[in-house]
Amino acid sequence: MPFEPKIVAYLCTWCSYTGADTAGIARLKSPANLRAIRVPCSGRVSPEIVLRTFDHGADGVLILGCHPGECHYDSGNHRAAKRIPILRALMGFAGLETERLRLDWVSASEGERFSHIVSEFTDTVRALGPVRWQVRGNPATAVQDDRSANPLWGAHQSSNSLIPADKLAEFADRNRKFTESIRLNASELLKSGRVHCVIGYETGTHARTRPAFIWDASEADRLVWNQECTHNLTLYLEDALNRKNQESERKPVVAVVVKACDERTIQVLLSENRFSREQIHLIGVACDGIYQVEGSQGNDENQEFALQQKCVDCEQRLPLSYDTLIGEAARQSLAEQSLVPGMGVDSLVEQMSQTTPQERMDFWLSQFDRCIRCYACRQACPLCYCPTCLFERDDSLWTGMGIEIDEKRTFHLGRAYHLAGRCIGCNECERVCPMSIPISLINHKLAQEMKNYFNYEAGLAIQPSPLVTILGGEERLP
Amino acid sequence: MLTEPKENPMLPYLGKLVSVKDLGTEIKFIGVELLNGGSEKFAHYHPGQFVFLSALGVGEAPFGIASTSDRGNILEFAIQRLGSVTTELHELSTGDTVGIRGPLGNWFPLDEFKHKNLIVIGGGIGGAPLRPVIQTVIDNREDFGHFTILWAARHPSLLVFTDEYDDWSAAPDTELHLTVDQPDATWDRNIGLITELIERVAPSPENAITITCGPPIMIHFVNKMLTEKFGFRPEQNFVTLEARMHCGIGKCGRCNLGEKLVCVDGPIFTMKEVGGFLESFI
Amino acid sequence: MIANNHEPHLWFITQEELRNWLESITDHATLIAPQNFDGIVLFKPTSDVNEIDWGNSRAAMSIKEAFFPPTEQLMVIKRRGAEVKVTEKLFKEKQVIFSARPCDARGMKVLDSVFITTEPEDSYYSKRRANTTLIGLTCQQMGATCFCTSMGGSPSNPDDMDIMLTAYNGGYLLQIVSEKGRELVTGVNLQPTTIAVEIEDEIGRAPTPQIGDWPPRFADDYWEELAERCLSCRICAYVCPTCRCFDVRDEALPNDDGWQQFERIRCWDSCTSEGYRRIAGGHNPRDTKAKRLKNRVFCKFYFYPQQYNPVACTGCGRCIDACPVNIDITELLQHLTEVVYANRA
Repeated sequence: MPFEPKIVAYLCTWCSYTGADTAGIARLKSPANLRAIRVPCSGRVSPEIVLRTFDHGADGVLILGCHPGECHYDSGNHRAAKRIPILRALMGFAGLETERLRLDWVSASEGERFSHIVSEFTDTVRALGPVRWQVRGNPATAVQDDRSANPLWGAHQSSNSLIPADKLAEFADRNRKFTESIRLNASELLKSGRVHCVIGYETGTHARTRPAFIWDASEADRLVWNQECTHNLTLYLEDALNRKNQESERKPVVAVVVKACDERTIQVLLSENRFSREQIHLIGVACDGIYQVEGSQGNDENQEFALQQKCVDCEQRLPLSYDTLIGEAARQSLAEQSLVPGMGVDSLVEQMSQTTPQERMDFWLSQFDRCIRCYACRQACPLCYCPTCLFERDDSLWTGMGIEIDEKRTFHLGRAYHLAGRCIGCNECERVCPMSIPISLINHKLAQEMKNYFNYEAGLAIQPSPLVTILGGEERLP
Repeated sequence: MLTEPKENPMLPYLGKLVSVKDLGTEIKFIGVELLNGGSEKFAHYHPGQFVFLSALGVGEAPFGIASTSDRGNILEFAIQRLGSVTTELHELSTGDTVGIRGPLGNWFPLDEFKHKNLIVIGGGIGGAPLRPVIQTVIDNREDFGHFTILWAARHPSLLVFTDEYDDWSAAPDTELHLTVDQPDATWDRNIGLITELIERVAPSPENAITITCGPPIMIHFVNKMLTEKFGFRPEQNFVTLEARMHCGIGKCGRCNLGEKLVCVDGPIFTMKEVGGFLESFI
Repeated sequence: MIANNHEPHLWFITQEELRNWLESITDHATLIAPQNFDGIVLFKPTSDVNEIDWGNSRAAMSIKEAFFPPTEQLMVIKRRGAEVKVTEKLFKEKQVIFSARPCDARGMKVLDSVFITTEPEDSYYSKRRANTTLIGLTCQQMGATCFCTSMGGSPSNPDDMDIMLTAYNGGYLLQIVSEKGRELVTGVNLQPTTIAVEIEDEIGRAPTPQIGDWPPRFADDYWEELAERCLSCRICAYVCPTCRCFDVRDEALPNDDGWQQFERIRCWDSCTSEGYRRIAGGHNPRDTKAKRLKNRVFCKFYFYPQQYNPVACTGCGRCIDACPVNIDITELLQHLTEVVYANRA
C-alpha cells in the first residue's frame, strides 16, 4: 500500500477552521490524511504541542492562522510568525526534515486557498516519505550503533584547543595579580557595608575551583582567580539577595565576580526583572579564557591545558558593564592573537548544519541516549529559573517522567526553545553534564537563528527577546 | 485479572466503587469493595492504617482508611481534590474500578488505651483516619473511659462526617465539640481555632490519651497547648503524620523523617517519638 | 593486602580465553561490559566483545542500572469500559556483568538490604539480582577520588562478586567466589595456579564519624554553608551505586484493539531535587538546599544504617568527580570528624 502521510493540522478557529468549512461547502477536494485540531489562535500552538505531535507519530504538522494584521486577538499570530521558524530550525537541527512543519495564513473566506495549502503540504510530506522522528515503538528511529559512519562523531570533541606552553607562566602571573585585586576589592566592599555578600571562586579539593560565598571581610582571602573559574555565578544572585541581612536596614546588595560571558546573563536577568541594577555590584574580570575542566578522575601531572570551545571564538574580553574591573581594558584574547587552534562552537554548529537530517538525527539520538536526566544542565543555567519546570510538573502533558530517549529529547529540545533569544552561551549546561553531551550546540544554533531572523543577540542590552514581543514595523516577517 | 497478588507488593488489588458522596467542598467520600483478592489482608485492618489507592492510568497516592473492618467489608476513604490523582478519583462514579494496595503502616494501639479517657482531635480532612477510632470506641464503649471529640475546620463546608455527629454525641459518656475558623450564615456553634477550643474544654491529663490528626502546623500547636498548658506528657499524645510517598512499603526512601519512615514506622507516632526525630515534621 | 580468610587464587585464564568465554556468554545471556561512548565509559549491554573497553578507568555510572534501571515498567494496566486487566512485568532475561569493581558490587549488597532483606521483598529488583552474575575485576590502584577502604571495602575485595579476576602477567588470576560463578566458568579453559598477589590498600583517605556521633551534627550551620553552591541537580544520586529513591507514575500507552493501555513505571529520583517532598497542595518540608543536602548525607551515614544495617556509601568517589560544584563527600566527612574530636577534647 502506498504511503499516506499522517498530517496533523492546527487550525485557528477564526480563520482556517472556518476556511476548512468553506472549502467543504464549496466541495473543494482536500486530502483525507488531515487530522484537524481547532485552536483559538495560531499563537496558542506552543512549541511543546508541536514536539509532542511529532513524538506521537505525525508525518507532518501544519499550522494555519489569520493573516498578520487580522488576528482576532490582535497579535497572537505574531507569536506564531516568530515562533515557528525558530522551532523549525530547532527540529531541523535535531534531524527532522524542515518541510514537515509549515505555518501559513488563511482567512475565513479563503476556502480555495485552504484546500490548496493542504494539498500542497500533503504532497510535500508524501514525497518525503514516512517520518523518522518518533522513537517509542519505532525501530526506524533506534539509536544507531555504528558510530564510525557518522561524520559528526567526535567532531565536537576534536577541537582540542591547547594553550601554548609559554603562555602558562604568563597566566600564572596574571592569576596571582587578579587574585590579589579581587580579595582587596571584596574585603573593602564588605567592610564598608556596600555589599553584604561577595560571590566569587575559591580553591576546593583535588585542585578544583568552585563557587564561594563570602559574607564577612575576614573570609575574603578565600577568593581566587584562575583559568578554571568556569561557573556562571549569576546563578546564585537571587538566593543571595533573598537571604535577609539581619543587621542592616538597607536593601541587600550582592557583589558577583563575572567574566564577559557571565555579565551578558545579567543583562538578560535585568531585562526579565529578576532584580534591579542597584542590587548588584559587578566585579568584572578581563578574562583570557577558561580551561576545559574535567572531573578529578585520572588527573595527570603532565596535563595539557585546553581552552573551552566557547572561548576559542571569543572576542569580547571585557564585560559590557561592571562596577569594578579586574585586569586591564585593552588586551587581545588568545583567540584574537590566533594563538589557539581548534574550532569554536559556532563553527562547529555551522558544520553540523551542513550534514543530512539523518546524520543529525543519529547523532542526537546517541547523545540523548546517554542522558540520565539529572537536570544538571537546567540547574546550572541562570536563566532556567521557573519554580517548577514545565517538563517536570506532576501533571506535565509534554513529556513523561521516565528516563527514556524520547522524553529526554523532548526535554532538551523544549528547554533549548525556552532559552532561544535568552541564552548567552556560557555553556555551563554542557560543562556540568556528567555524560559529556554537547548540549550547547543546540543553544548556539538557536542563537544563530535569532541573529538571522531578528538580527538579535541576547545579553547586549536590557531589552526583551524578540520572541516575546510583537512584530514591529522594522522587523521583517521571517 | 489477578488473584491474590501476595508476591509482588507493588501490584494492586482491584476494587469497585460502591458509593460516592460529597463530604464537603472538594471532598468526596467513597466506598470500595475488593474485587479480586485481598479480602484476607483486609479482613482485620486497624484504625490508623492506610492504603495506596490507584486512579488507574494516572497514579497512586496514600489515603488513611476511614472505616473499620469491624463494621463491614467496604473500605471507605475521604478524598480531597488537590492534585492529579485526587482529581481523577473525583471523576469516578459507582461501578468504576480503582486499585488498592495495603493495609499499610502501623495503627493506633487501642488495646493500650482501654480504660483510659480518650480525646480525639481532628482538623479538616484529618478527621478521616480518626473516624475508625471513633467508631471502634463507640462500638466497644465500656472498654474506654470518658470520650471527648474535638472537631475543627476552616469553614463549615469543610467539616467532615456531619451526618454522623448525632450518633457520636449520642454515645454514653461522650462529648462532641465543633469549631470553625470562619463561620457561615447558619453556624451556631464555636468559632475559633482548635487550640482555643481545647482551652475552653480544658482536658485533664489524668489517665488520658489524645489522638490528633490534621495539618502539621495544627498538630504542633495542639501538642504545645496540651503539654504546656494542661500538663500532658508527650507520650500521651498520639498523632498520625503524612509525607509524600511513592511505595508505602519502605523501598522508595522518600517519606523519611530522620531515621523513621512514615510508611512503615508510622504513620502513627507519639509526640515523644516525634520530638526525638532529628528532622522536624513541619 | 588480601585478608587471611580469602581463598588463594586458584586459576589462571589467558586474555584470549577470557575473550572466548565472554563471547560464549553472549549466546545465552546479556553481557554487560564497560564501553567507551565519546570518552565516557559506561556499563552497557553488548554482543560484540570487541566493543569492550579494557582500560582501567572507573565507569562514570555504576552497575546499579542492571538491577534498578533508570526507568522500569512495573505493570501494564488495560481498561475497556468497566473491565480492567493488570499484568505484572517482571524481568526474564539472564545477565552477566563483566569488569564490575568491588565498590560496584558492594553497592549491590547495600541495595540488597533494602530491596531483598527487608520485607516485603521487591519482586523487580530480586528477580534481576537472581538472574545476574558478577565477574569482578580487581583495581590495580585506587583512583584519586576513591576511598573504598574507608567504607569497609578494598580494591581487591572479592566478597560481593561471583567470580573475581585480577590482571596478572598478560592474563588474569581467576577466583571462583560463589556457586553462580562456578556454574558460569563450567567448560572454560582454566589453568590451576597457586600464585598469590598482594595489593597494597591505601587506608585512611576518608575518616568518618562513628554512627553515634552523627545526631548532634544535624544542627550544625555547616550544612547551610556547604549547600550554598549546590545546584539541586541529581547527579550525585544517579551516579551513586547505593542511591535508590524512586518515583512511581502511570503513563499512557497507545490503545490496543479497543483497550486503553497504561504502564505503571518507576524511575530514578533524588532527594536533592527541589520538589522531592512537595505534596499536592504545595507544602514542601525540605524547601532549602541545606535541608536536602543534610538529609542526603545523614541518610547515607546515619538513617540508612538505622533502617537497613549497612552504611549507604561504598567509597567509589563518583559523586566527587561528577559534582559540578565540588561538593566533596570526603571533605565533609573529614570536617565532621574534626568537629567530633574537637567537641570531645
